[in-house]
Amino acid sequence: MDKYERGERMNLKNLPDDEYFTPGHTACPGCAAPIIVRNMMKILGKDTVIYTPANCLLVFGGTYPYIAWKVPYFHEAFENTGSSISGAARALKKQGKKVTVVGIAGDGGTYDIGIQALSGAAERNEDVIYVCYDNEAYMNTGIQRSGSTPYGAETTTTPAGKKILGKLRHKKDMAEIMRAHDIPYVATASISHIADFLKKVEKMKNIEGFRYFHVLSPCPTGWRYDPSKTVEIARKAVDSGMWTLYEAEYGEITNIYKPKKKIPVEEYIRGQGRFRHMTPEMIEELQRWVDRKWERLYGEKP
Amino acid sequence: MYEIRFHGRGGQGGRMAAEALALAAFLEGKYAVSFPFFGAERRGAPVRAFTRIDDKKIRIKTQIYEPDYVVVLDETLIETEDVLEGLKPDGMVIINTQKKPEEVKLSRSVRCATIDATTIALETIGRAITNTAILGAISRATGKIGIDAIEKAIIEKFGARLGKEAGEKNAIAARKAYEKTIVGIAKAGKKFEGKKQWLPTVDELPLGGSIGTLQTEAGLVGIGSFSENKTGGWRVFMPVVDEQRCTGCKICWFYCPEGAIKMVDNKAKINYDYCKGCGICENECPFKAIEMKREVRI
Repeated sequence: MDKYERGERMNLKNLPDDEYFTPGHTACPGCAAPIIVRNMMKILGKDTVIYTPANCLLVFGGTYPYIAWKVPYFHEAFENTGSSISGAARALKKQGKKVTVVGIAGDGGTYDIGIQALSGAAERNEDVIYVCYDNEAYMNTGIQRSGSTPYGAETTTTPAGKKILGKLRHKKDMAEIMRAHDIPYVATASISHIADFLKKVEKMKNIEGFRYFHVLSPCPTGWRYDPSKTVEIARKAVDSGMWTLYEAEYGEITNIYKPKKKIPVEEYIRGQGRFRHMTPEMIEELQRWVDRKWERLYGEKP
Repeated sequence: MYEIRFHGRGGQGGRMAAEALALAAFLEGKYAVSFPFFGAERRGAPVRAFTRIDDKKIRIKTQIYEPDYVVVLDETLIETEDVLEGLKPDGMVIINTQKKPEEVKLSRSVRCATIDATTIALETIGRAITNTAILGAISRATGKIGIDAIEKAIIEKFGARLGKEAGEKNAIAARKAYEKTIVGIAKAGKKFEGKKQWLPTVDELPLGGSIGTLQTEAGLVGIGSFSENKTGGWRVFMPVVDEQRCTGCKICWFYCPEGAIKMVDNKAKINYDYCKGCGICENECPFKAIEMKREVRI
């Protein structure tokens, strides 16, 4: 019987007080990314090495000469998070050190620019953790569309104007691409579901091989909502089916969270400035996409 | 020619204010240029924006180092940097604060106009975005640009971006501020120490290695050193914990993006040095034990 079955797993009550990502960082008020990394680091602990390519977290987590991380922290180029963490993990293994190597990239660094290095590292089954914090656009450079931006969302490169009304294509399903790599662990999470989030972080810490962890990270600046609503919006994303929480081991979904009551996608997009221009037809199209995804993942009609 | 420098925080709209002021001058038949300056910073971090206004064509493209007017959108900024730096001797500073000009203490005695733009913005627009209210104050304090042109510029600039109704509300905020601006003289006596920088030579840095945490003349550097950067000045609203209602469930502790909430004796304690006032804790507390209150800074 392992400790999960005994019910000794990490929960909000016994989550350590230790902070490996210090206050004083310069993230926008209400940013979800520090919530994700702070709490993740409480479980991963001090024997961790962090790699980040260009993203907001890189800037607000370390602006010369200040660093918010209390663990070794490296900045590498945008496209090679996968290969950097592969090399670091192998070097540390050769030295006989037991260290968790973590690469944290945004959606741009994962979906678009970093996908080849990521795919290679996953295919080689390197012993690393890859975290994608997904805020659905290139927020660091001023909100440009990425492969992760959902249909209809307004960004500076998909403006709601006379010719187009926001992004024309749907969000790419990155976690599914990673699931197809037949790796030991793929998990999607949301800060709105604390127990689920902590369980997944703790589980992935103790697995050997390539682990892919994908967290939705609402962005008050880019999504244009009130900063206090960050967690509420993350929760609505899960409840509407825009974001699905599951775990997959070697390509098989082993655990999937189903919202008790599915809310219409309209309820999720309300209050987010990036969707404000959406017409009823566009909302219907987004709903159809959510329903298709729902049917594929749950194997039943919503 | 006269030059105006705006000091604000990212997201407060310093850039939009500088641009709207340039547009207002243009509507009055003047020449005007405007541009912002910011580094790799997020919302809430100090930023600057500039506007130059002249009767003839403007050829100068530099940042403004010796302004005629300084506009401060956030009063916490006058504590951390000398906003009067380079201001001409007969220049004037316009500050968003609840204080009267005589109560404001700066590095030297200078003409000063004050306006409680945050309250006006909250009452009129419903958000603590003060850039349009401050434009009304600029019109009153400087007397160089008419409030009618300011209103027209706001409706044109903000209306195009936020919708007609929001544009008009912002114009009302400017008009209100125009009527409430107080002009006087600020006190001298605030001391600023020049901020030291840590500039190590190549020999002092381990090549390809880690520096760990170092205490330098510029303060702490290296891993964990961001804790010296107190972000508490960013907020407009502060969370206040009702200890009677707090059950110690740790939900706010989990959700605080700053890690500014600590659990002490099973009650949430907020570290105001770092709290940016995002309000997630109030929104997520299941027992309604946290309330966001307008912060009054003295």
